[in-house]
Amino acid sequence: MSANNPTGHKHPMSQMIAQINEIFAELGFVFATGPEAETENYNFDRLNIKKDHPARDMQDTFWLRPSDVTEPTVLRTQTSPVQVRFMETHQAPMRMICPGKVFRNEATDATHEAQFHQLEGLYIDTGVHMGHLKGTIEYFFSKFFSGEVEVRFRPSFFPFVEPGIEVDMMLKSGESKLANRWIEVMGAGMIHPNVLRGAGIDPTKYSGFAFGVGIDRLAVMKYEIDDIRHIYSGDARFVNQF
Amino acid sequence: MVQKFSYNWLCEYLGEPAPAPSVIADLLTKHAFEVEGMEEHDGDTVIELKILPDRGSDCLCHRGLARELATLLNVPLKMDPLEAVVTLSETNEIKVSIEDFATCPRFTASIIRGVKVGPSPAWLVAQLQAIGVRSINNIVDATNYAMFALGEPTHAYDATKFPKTDGSYNFVVRKSNPGETVSLLAEGGKNEDRIVTLRGGELLIVDGTTNTAVGLAGVKGGRYAGVDSDTTDIIVEAAHFEPGLTRRTARGLGIVIDASKRFENEPAQTLPPLAQQYLVNLIISIAGGECVGMVDIHETIKTPQPVHVNPHRVCALLGVEIPKDEMVTILRRDGVMVIDEGEHLLCTGPHVRTDLNIEADFIEEIGRIYGYHHVVSVVPESVPLTEFNKKHIYAEHIRTSLVNQGFTEIITTTFRNQDEIGLQSSMASDKCFIRSELTSSLSDALTRNAPFTDLLGVSDTRLFEIGTVFTRHEGVVAEHISLALGVRLKTTGYSGKEDKILTEALASLAADLGVLLEWNITDAVAELNLTTLIETLPDLHQYDAVAKLPDVTYQPFSNYPSVTRDIAMWVGEGTDMRTVETLLRAEAGSLLVRLTHLDTFTKDGRTSLAFRLVFQSKEKTLETSEVDVHMSAVYDAVAKAGFEVR
Repeated sequence: MSANNPTGHKHPMSQMIAQINEIFAELGFVFATGPEAETENYNFDRLNIKKDHPARDMQDTFWLRPSDVTEPTVLRTQTSPVQVRFMETHQAPMRMICPGKVFRNEATDATHEAQFHQLEGLYIDTGVHMGHLKGTIEYFFSKFFSGEVEVRFRPSFFPFVEPGIEVDMMLKSGESKLANRWIEVMGAGMIHPNVLRGAGIDPTKYSGFAFGVGIDRLAVMKYEIDDIRHIYSGDARFVNQF
Repeated sequence: MVQKFSYNWLCEYLGEPAPAPSVIADLLTKHAFEVEGMEEHDGDTVIELKILPDRGSDCLCHRGLARELATLLNVPLKMDPLEAVVTLSETNEIKVSIEDFATCPRFTASIIRGVKVGPSPAWLVAQLQAIGVRSINNIVDATNYAMFALGEPTHAYDATKFPKTDGSYNFVVRKSNPGETVSLLAEGGKNEDRIVTLRGGELLIVDGTTNTAVGLAGVKGGRYAGVDSDTTDIIVEAAHFEPGLTRRTARGLGIVIDASKRFENEPAQTLPPLAQQYLVNLIISIAGGECVGMVDIHETIKTPQPVHVNPHRVCALLGVEIPKDEMVTILRRDGVMVIDEGEHLLCTGPHVRTDLNIEADFIEEIGRIYGYHHVVSVVPESVPLTEFNKKHIYAEHIRTSLVNQGFTEIITTTFRNQDEIGLQSSMASDKCFIRSELTSSLSDALTRNAPFTDLLGVSDTRLFEIGTVFTRHEGVVAEHISLALGVRLKTTGYSGKEDKILTEALASLAADLGVLLEWNITDAVAELNLTTLIETLPDLHQYDAVAKLPDVTYQPFSNYPSVTRDIAMWVGEGTDMRTVETLLRAEAGSLLVRLTHLDTFTKDGRTSLAFRLVFQSKEKTLETSEVDVHMSAVYDAVAKAGFEVR
């Protein structure tokens, strides 16, 4: 390779996804993927998000034209349908993550994009509790942000978990802007018994946690990116910085 | 849903002395709701809260939030309007016919005669204003106040505008017929009423005598029988409408207002008579008049059912050891009726809590009230991976191969303004379709990035993308992962000379993957179906080690064009290149954004060094003359240092 032809750059999103996979693989979390055009059934119904329920307001949705589909189909608003598909095709105990692109039908600005990447994950086994959730999240963030991270839980609501929580994190050392303050970072909770049952898993025998975080948001935090639209701009002046 | 709460209003129920607003905010944050904002307002503090969807049933009102605070503070409510016993007498002056109780499980109405419509008392105006609600008149304000107090939307009609049949006012609750119209009261800030033509199936409140729609159930009152300044006799309605139907109607007509938002969150079916009596008393106290009586039409009322909660499961799910007695105490603080059955706790939620239906709901109550800070981290013991993601493994191999050949990865938008697969509704006109290929967006990206080669210190533009595309296959949408890569040499577009670089890159990639690849190539952009390719490749059971994420902070870049100047000079043998670079940087000034060493060669005992200087401003497009000033300083300094510019 000559001086005039230096190596290129892997997109920071790909770098992060590979890193995320490596961290979770250490604990035995399998990397699963699923379709980006997803049926209403998997994107909403099986996740305990009923039709005409206010919970659907949490996600403005892109619907595909009825002429192109055999059943109502959306651009997935979350990667959770991958979790449902995984639960249906695997036997407990199971550990998985599903990073991937998701879509929201909303106006874009420096902090909102109509497409972004999410990381969701789940762990189902006998005796899984909120302490495991806390431990797993701390483990992940400490590795991802290269420093000891503490998390705290606050009550929240997501239809596919109960209890549902919001997770704040604090980087306990270092000079970065993230250090020594609480930052709201992800939603999580214990998988709702309806969701387990719907996937053929006995909720009286097994329990599990699920979490979801915007990878774009992690990028903004880690690299102090001022406008998330850069991530999808196809601009080498952005990508070459990483 | 974000809702404003008045601290003073909450204190009416909590009693004095209530904890300071900041204490309340902190408690709510840790145990219930996120605080979106707090501000002083005329001797009051307005707290803005994000009420979670499951608590929209009971906490979109001051009584509900005060009850929640009472639980968290472990105190009883000093004053609870829902403890009242309904004593309004029955009247036969109102007849109600409900077509289907599934759509309207409960309907209450009462008559007040002799009211005087006028301005509201100052306290009421202030209380509504604090939470951002405009005062209209005493009757309308009273209905709003009752809603923000108890969470039950209500409506007042002018009774004299209803004709009677056999001495009674006649209400019918039925679904609309297609094409039926209803004239709705002007919306906030607008003067004109709105006549809405219905699709059919929306729930209506109808004057049964004339068969005229008087309102959209749970959404908006009609012009027919609207209260005005001459109104003396009113009919007050408090009902329960099916949440999903209310939501569909409101959203279908684009009339999403405080009332519909509450109904769609399923407030308790026990509320209507309580809210009815509360509102009647309030109206009489501020507008005078006398209540003739009330009707309360319903079949079986949905009330919270007892649920078995296993204390072991509570601890097992929360990961916290909480003694059973403490669970019972917490639940009772929360207003839950608990019967200790030994192995189980038989729990029945308070009547306004329509969200407490299964064991997990009660586990959450115990967990959040006890406090999630008690949860102790446990990292699950590591287990071996049971499967490997083949797509990820090969995508990573491809990235590595292409990056090594100078290609930079981009991720572009899935949306297009024209393509095969369309979207039904989109916020933006450039997002009406989803992409069927990557070639066109990659080609666009090459064009956009071609002017940046000097800026980025590269000789040409090489980009690739790996992403999902959507095509129509046998009439329906099908998706696969696509890989596209392309080269551009000139800012003027594809020149033909890119083909050689691309061909070499494709050959290298094929060698790295160990397979023959079939590409679709257009103007030095090559694309293939990666999903199909990966299926033909052998399974792998190992992920490559991942490089540590770069320890960088993103630097905003200028969108103004850059200006490039090259300089070559003879220097004495043994001259340190870094000395020359330092000199160039110093003289080129702050507009220099990149200095690239181009080449070095030695001839006849002299060494030639060539550099490329790239100038760019963050504020404007640079004029040639501005760059010239810096370059002449560079030339002068180079000469002064004894180097000869070539």
